Amino acid sequence: MTVGRGVAVEVAGVGKTFLLPHGHRTTFKEYFLHPFHRTAYERQQALSDITFDIAEGEFFGIVGPNGSGKSTLLKVLAGIYRQDAGTVRVNGVLSPFIELGVGFNMELTARDNILINGTLLGLTRRQINDRFDEIVAFGELERFVDQKLKNFSSGMQVRLAYSVAIQVDFDILLLDEVLAVGDQEFQKRCFETLAEIRRAGKTIVFVSHDLGAIKEHCDRAMLLLNGSIQAMGDPEDVLAHYDALMHRDAVGPI
Amino acid sequence: MLAVIATAEFKLKYTGSVLGYAWSVLKPLALFTLLYLVFGRVFNLNELSPYYAVSLLVGIVLYSFFADATMLGLISIVTRDSLIRKIAFPRIIITTSVTLTAGMTLLINITVVGAFLAYKQITPQLDWLLIPLLLVELYAFTLGVSLILAALFVRLRDLQQVWELALQLFFYASPILYPIGFLPPWAQKLAFLNPFTQVMQDIRALLFYPDVASNRITAAGAFGGLGRVVPIAIAIGTLVVGYVYFRRQEPWFAERA
Repeated sequence: MTVGRGVAVEVAGVGKTFLLPHGHRTTFKEYFLHPFHRTAYERQQALSDITFDIAEGEFFGIVGPNGSGKSTLLKVLAGIYRQDAGTVRVNGVLSPFIELGVGFNMELTARDNILINGTLLGLTRRQINDRFDEIVAFGELERFVDQKLKNFSSGMQVRLAYSVAIQVDFDILLLDEVLAVGDQEFQKRCFETLAEIRRAGKTIVFVSHDLGAIKEHCDRAMLLLNGSIQAMGDPEDVLAHYDALMHRDAVGPI
Repeated sequence: MLAVIATAEFKLKYTGSVLGYAWSVLKPLALFTLLYLVFGRVFNLNELSPYYAVSLLVGIVLYSFFADATMLGLISIVTRDSLIRKIAFPRIIITTSVTLTAGMTLLINITVVGAFLAYKQITPQLDWLLIPLLLVELYAFTLGVSLILAALFVRLRDLQQVWELALQLFFYASPILYPIGFLPPWAQKLAFLNPFTQVMQDIRALLFYPDVASNRITAAGAFGGLGRVVPIAIAIGTLVVGYVYFRRQEPWFAERA
């Protein structure tokens, strides 16, 4: 870790288990028929003993196959899930983009949606009003502000969502594959804004299957497998480890 | 944040409908007309008091608020599961905002009651200034119930059917369409344990001051002395219990909703 920088995110011994019920007992009948009978659960250990730090200003990548716990980890960092074990400390304002356009409603106008989405992302009404023109201009949506969102093309919706998202004032940004949705041009613009964010000394935690992007942009990376950290450090090394792991799996157990 | 979401919910509620916001007035009015014809005219409850009709309207408007708010509150968390899984913010905002949406409808309906009062040539009194306070008490009780229901519904999905039924019972158990004087004194006390009944009767007693005494029975009259604080304490207690229970369940909404 770089000397002289503070710690943005501190994760120590974090574990998360989901109880996946077999035929979830959510109706009264089930409660009354078998009041003392406990529902059979399958325990799924999504994360176990995760410990790592992210320094301020670091671009930190997380890779791993599907179901390895990447999204669960981001949701624990974002405070959406509560971990069962360990501690998470976040220094600064953390802004999660688990998905672009949270709270978008197709029946409302772009104007209303900017207000709702911006509010959910932590902007005040005044900030949204002040930055409204900028948001609309960035998305090139001036002509459509008062149209219902259902009349927007999916590309326009993504542009609108991204335009709002980049207006949020944060210290730490969590990105979960959100950039995979747009076209080439859009992705290019996204990475340009990410570079700006980095120059401003902000921290970015980036989950992606785009290994090229991880290699190109990240200072450090972490490999998750079955909820545990398999490798951490220089992105090249971590990706090599990931590659070897996938290759071994492809060949099959020896 | 609360205001933004409550306003959006209000806009959404009537989007695409021809009559729009008018529905929030038309629905209680339609229920009122129906019940007035059946109970006021056919069963002649009308003859007991010149204020039967407008008194019934007050009851229905308040009940519609309670029923709408708690029903919207109950489903508020479960129906927004996708939102809850993507962003962390105090979940209590969701449930509070939908009850506020119902509150906006109540305010519109109160203007209709105002028109009826003017038609009946009832002169406003200074003590009517207490009515907003009573509405705040009713809101506190309603929010408390909604918070309990919203958090419970995440675990118990039968609750929606049960609550719909409970609201029907609530309607007939409360002296909305029959005068409270119909009940024997012990049943009146029981009815006044419900903060809704206390608020409704207090408001009626304030609005229809020339009405017959048996229609103006309030919790203060039924319990006497300090007993009048009992339903108020129940309303505040419900809000506290609702808040504490909701906050304790909140960390698990994202994985269970």
